[in-house]
Amino acid sequence: MTEVVATNETILVVGGGISGMTAALEAAETGKRVVLVEKRPFLGGRVSQLYKYFPKLCHPTCGQEINQRRIKMNPNITVLTMAEVTGLEGEPGAYTATVKLTPRYVNDNCTACGECAKVVEAEFDNEFDYGMSKRKGAYLPHVMAHPMQYVLDPRIIGTDDAQKAKEACKYDAIDLDMEEREIQFPCGAVIWATGWKPYDAAKIQPYGYDRFENVITNVEFERMADPKGPTGGKIIRPSDGKEAKNIAFIQCAGSRDRNHLFHCSRICCMASLKQTHYVVDAYEDAQVTIYYIDIRAIDRFEDFYQNVRAMDNVSFVKSKVANIITDKDGNPICRGVDTEGYHRYENTHDLVVLATGMEPSVSKSDFPVDIVINREGFIEPDPANGGVFAAGSASDALDVNRAVQHATGAALKAIQVVNRVAGAEG
Amino acid sequence: MSDMNTAMVEKYRNDFLKEVEANVEEGHWVKMCMQCGVCSGSCPLGPHWAHPPQEIFMMIRAGKRDEVLSSDSMWMCTSCYNCIVRCPRELPITHIMHGLATYAKRLGLAPKNQPTSQFSEIFWNNMMKRGRVNELKLGLSLYFKDGFSQGIKNALANQKLGMNMMKAKRMSPAEFFGGHGVKDISGLQKMIKKAEEIELAKLNANK
Amino acid sequence: MSDEKKFAAFICTGCGIGDRLDVKQLEMTATRDGKMQSCQTHEMLCSKEGVAMIQNAIDNDGANHIMIAACSRRAKVEAFHFPTVAMSRANLREGVIWARPEGDEHQETTQEMADDYIRMACAEVRFMEVPEPSGEQGEVKNILIVGGGVSGMTAALEAAAAGFHCHIVEKEGQLGGWAAKWHKRIPFRAAPEGTPNSLTAHLPEPVDNDVAELIAQVEANDKITVHLNARVTRTSGAPGRFSADITTESGQTVTENYGAIIQASGWKPFDIDSLPEYGHQHPDVVTNVELEELARQAGDGPIKRPSDGKEVKSVAFVQNAGQAADKEGYLPYHSGIGDLVSIKQALYFKAQNGEDCDTTILYNNLRTPGAAGEDFYRSGQQKMVIFTKGEVNEVTSGGNGATVKFKDKILDEDVELAVDLVVLDIGMVPNSGPDPYAANESIEDMSDEDQQAAKEEMASETAVTVESILNLDYRQGTDLPQLKWGFTDSHFICFPYETRRTGIYACGPVRRPMDIKQAQDDATGAAMKAIQAAVHAASGEAVHPRVGDLSYPRFRKEGCTQCKRCTVECPFGAINEDEERYPQFNESRCRRCGTCMGACPVRVISFANYSIDTVGQQLKNVEIPDEFEEKPRILVLACENDAYPALDQAAMSGQEISPWARVIPVRCLGSVSLSWITDSMNSGYDGVIMMGCKRGDDYQCHFVRGSTMAAERMRKVGDTLQTLNLEPDRVVVHEVAITDIERAPRLIKEMEEVIERVGLSPFKF
Repeated sequence: MTEVVATNETILVVGGGISGMTAALEAAETGKRVVLVEKRPFLGGRVSQLYKYFPKLCHPTCGQEINQRRIKMNPNITVLTMAEVTGLEGEPGAYTATVKLTPRYVNDNCTACGECAKVVEAEFDNEFDYGMSKRKGAYLPHVMAHPMQYVLDPRIIGTDDAQKAKEACKYDAIDLDMEEREIQFPCGAVIWATGWKPYDAAKIQPYGYDRFENVITNVEFERMADPKGPTGGKIIRPSDGKEAKNIAFIQCAGSRDRNHLFHCSRICCMASLKQTHYVVDAYEDAQVTIYYIDIRAIDRFEDFYQNVRAMDNVSFVKSKVANIITDKDGNPICRGVDTEGYHRYENTHDLVVLATGMEPSVSKSDFPVDIVINREGFIEPDPANGGVFAAGSASDALDVNRAVQHATGAALKAIQVVNRVAGAEG
Repeated sequence: MSDMNTAMVEKYRNDFLKEVEANVEEGHWVKMCMQCGVCSGSCPLGPHWAHPPQEIFMMIRAGKRDEVLSSDSMWMCTSCYNCIVRCPRELPITHIMHGLATYAKRLGLAPKNQPTSQFSEIFWNNMMKRGRVNELKLGLSLYFKDGFSQGIKNALANQKLGMNMMKAKRMSPAEFFGGHGVKDISGLQKMIKKAEEIELAKLNANK
Repeated sequence: MSDEKKFAAFICTGCGIGDRLDVKQLEMTATRDGKMQSCQTHEMLCSKEGVAMIQNAIDNDGANHIMIAACSRRAKVEAFHFPTVAMSRANLREGVIWARPEGDEHQETTQEMADDYIRMACAEVRFMEVPEPSGEQGEVKNILIVGGGVSGMTAALEAAAAGFHCHIVEKEGQLGGWAAKWHKRIPFRAAPEGTPNSLTAHLPEPVDNDVAELIAQVEANDKITVHLNARVTRTSGAPGRFSADITTESGQTVTENYGAIIQASGWKPFDIDSLPEYGHQHPDVVTNVELEELARQAGDGPIKRPSDGKEVKSVAFVQNAGQAADKEGYLPYHSGIGDLVSIKQALYFKAQNGEDCDTTILYNNLRTPGAAGEDFYRSGQQKMVIFTKGEVNEVTSGGNGATVKFKDKILDEDVELAVDLVVLDIGMVPNSGPDPYAANESIEDMSDEDQQAAKEEMASETAVTVESILNLDYRQGTDLPQLKWGFTDSHFICFPYETRRTGIYACGPVRRPMDIKQAQDDATGAAMKAIQAAVHAASGEAVHPRVGDLSYPRFRKEGCTQCKRCTVECPFGAINEDEERYPQFNESRCRRCGTCMGACPVRVISFANYSIDTVGQQLKNVEIPDEFEEKPRILVLACENDAYPALDQAAMSGQEISPWARVIPVRCLGSVSLSWITDSMNSGYDGVIMMGCKRGDDYQCHFVRGSTMAAERMRKVGDTLQTLNLEPDRVVVHEVAITDIERAPRLIKEMEEVIERVGLSPFKF
């Protein structure tokens, strides 16, 4: 299936989100050979699940279209999806990477015609929508997915569904005999761009994310606002489908908290301000309350914050919400103290959105190589890391702009190493 | 100690914060508060506090010595530990509240006739007699602390509770005639005395 | 390759194309109408065998112009990759069969659509040429870096480590910029792994200034040349062949060639004296910049207050002084790092003036983001730096020391705090050159007459002259265009190094307020992009977003009227005028958007693979049914970056697209020539829709002004339509985002309704 042609001048990029794609592209467009390894069946990472970016309120898919076109057209990049780096040995300029490939059960013949999905009956939670919708056992992860190929869920393998899918495919693209396998190849430098995951909101016990249907996370809310998302872009309550017009955002849900994440996740304030726009744009009689400790609209983003603050139907309460209870109609009630002048509140909302923070995707024990991380689990730049360079949110809680900037720099760091291998610095 | 009572504390300076660090149990944590207010919101007695914990921490930093020490807020703490569990900075808020109350009491600044304060004293004296709490006498002392007729009223109001406790053998009328105690009462008293000495030495060292 | 064009068509019958369409008919259309010399079909053209079939035609039959009718040009790009030939693609899958419902009643119109797309793709490829690089510039592994602060030095060291030579031009007499003047710096790192949450845990502290080490590394690097007391007095050329004059204070000038340029011109402190309420006129009220000097003077000893030299025992930090407010004279943004700076400086006092020194930070929203930021906040608190949420109204002084009047927002009271010293957290102002478009943008929304008046007024006033940093000899101004408030940042979130002057990258605080750590990361990224720009220039390839494109604008000199519209409208300032006043395209500055082509009234500008004809012939080759058939035709010119993918995705997710629509992807709406609109009207189209990206302040056009230009040009098309006696509603420009999956087909539907209302075009023959 996948032939990887690599040498000690090849750059391995781990993680195919926006940072990994950027690092891979910047290096490849400078003439370097790159192997890009992504765990999921498609590139784009968490950014592909965002509806809009702050502060421009433009669409991430727009940049993704360009990045995907760059990748499709660049012969220097080998993309491995459903792949994970399980081993990395050696030294700068001479590493050997071991990559585990999980079977997709669909080969490059796939034309994304969709016939397999039509015949498969089994349905599963759609991870792209954080489980808020269902997808078939044969599925295209999303309409912009790259590679534009279907995937068979391993849970249908061995069932009639798998057989039906195979029979429906006119292009011999379904291979039910695919097996997990491991490949090894050399590389000179490694860019570690494994990104972040949303903090598990169920661990924030007083907010009852695991008990109350109308308490959701910001990443879920983002899917909800997306016209391609589980509700077709309608902002509604999960419990009863009612329009959610009175919405609370709870900042630092898990961040800046020794019970959860020590660090400030940097993006959540701006994310909630952005999501406030979604609510206000959707409903004329919207009411938004943002509960915060400090609004961190960093440097030039200040005016974005001031604009939201000036909205009549948005209020800011300096308070970490103490807990959430619900009334008989399933309305979440936020309780706490407004610390500006000491006012107790018990506010009823239609929906509560937890601005959950960013946690590094890979925990210390899962790194296949020794790497210097900080208390929060992010990779620190350190000579001890050798030819391994972090890019994007693997290095700190970063917004897209800063992550891409960081990844561009990481590409140069890797190029410096492989250039030394090539003896090209003279 | 009387010097401390009249200590000149300049507002919005760190003098009082330093005083708290020196004299109040876990007082060193006060500076770590980031004013999120989760403690104040989490307190089940919240509405009864004139100044919730996070505000008290801010008042300490602002040098509001008199307001803090004469406040009855920290006397409201029932040690439910909600605040400690939720505090994102791990401040031992319950302990700090008790520490502040103790300190205020020691300085004689605690509010007079504060029920929690009175109860604590009665409880302590009751327990020190035999090393165990005499529920009957504790109840009676509490009911009659404000005079005889008020005592009768209090007793009648809590009649049902008392009867239930007796049924459940949590309280016995026989306790009126002495009641049970620990085996080595003098040993216990010695132990307490030693503890008091250590405590005092610690306080003197901090001065 | 011989000059003779040899055309070959390939039609895929897979993915339902063969089932839904009459392929024999399509073949005939390709050969008869499309004039293809051969036409082959394959049941799965993207398969190895299918691709081999095409490759064989290229290798053995000499086909050098191929038309592939299969899926969308966005799909199977890797399979249909034939860089040596000219290629067009007819979108029969997403564009036709997936966009149309099945059923006999639709068969006729669906087949007509497919036939038209074949005709269009054939016409396109007939007028295409294989792009070849001009060879206008070669490999220059030399980078010019303007600014010798941390950003500039880091960029130089990083580029040098990748094998490039760098020249740093610094206007001062030494390297290091502001950062060299700091007493200590903010720690880069968060607490190490395993640090507990305790009062005694070791948390990051201010770090000794290490800029001197950086300077030493730069000075020791034989790939880096430093020009001190120097300025760039002229920059000309283009990526791969920039030429810059570097002039020293003493008047000596050297001229060097560069592949690319990095502008790291840094920042300057906000002038807080313009806001007397902050009391900076008093000696014991200092800015955070001035405090660094006081701390450094003190060495490791106590910091003294300026008025009388008394050791400071109490200090208040006023955060966001003159920042983050929409008040007159304030900066509308903040430096983002001011709180970290104040924590650092408060810790100076704790370390140098003793733990007893009271340090109070008066903040509104404390901003210590990320892992390192939040740990530094804890670090300050551990050492008893006091944080008070307060709104400062005034700083006064009656002599020694100063008093801060503020509202304590937590305790809800007005307070006067008397301290020995007040430190003002002031903002960072970018050190940019004059914005080439500043004047135009401020008057853009005015009417023509008002614009004229405003321009005259501006000309008469003696404008504040900002000194140029780059002195570009570009037709469109001397310096990098600015984004906002003087910052020369990218407009694009996912492309932070996007620039409106190709091959010139800004980094450091001139882009956005930032600290040393961020500036170093940023400089590394800018060095990457500069190297890349030099590499691309050498091979004649375009840079982002049309990376790798070898085509470039050419013009027919004899037809040129020297109207200069192309030089004015190019969003990237790529086009100059030569001595004879003809346009000079400077290929490697060009981003290949085609805005010049769209601007040219006499249609003399073209690209090898994209021209007036490659599009014009497509629309002319659509069969226009006569009036009695009652089949309207709607021309859709869709931006290939957003609108075209939106239509593709619409079809993929089962949305119907009008059978009357004929969609042509364009590089950018800016490239749309008015002649295409008039031609289509003259050939009997009933409506024209242009779909481009969002315009305005938050524009999403990757070529900056494409959709704005289209809208502007189309404002004038109304008159033309009226002279033809056509309703102006027939031509519309829409902003379409890539997510407009439902809306994009609906917009076409709306045009159907317009046509129903105003009737079919009278120009059908």
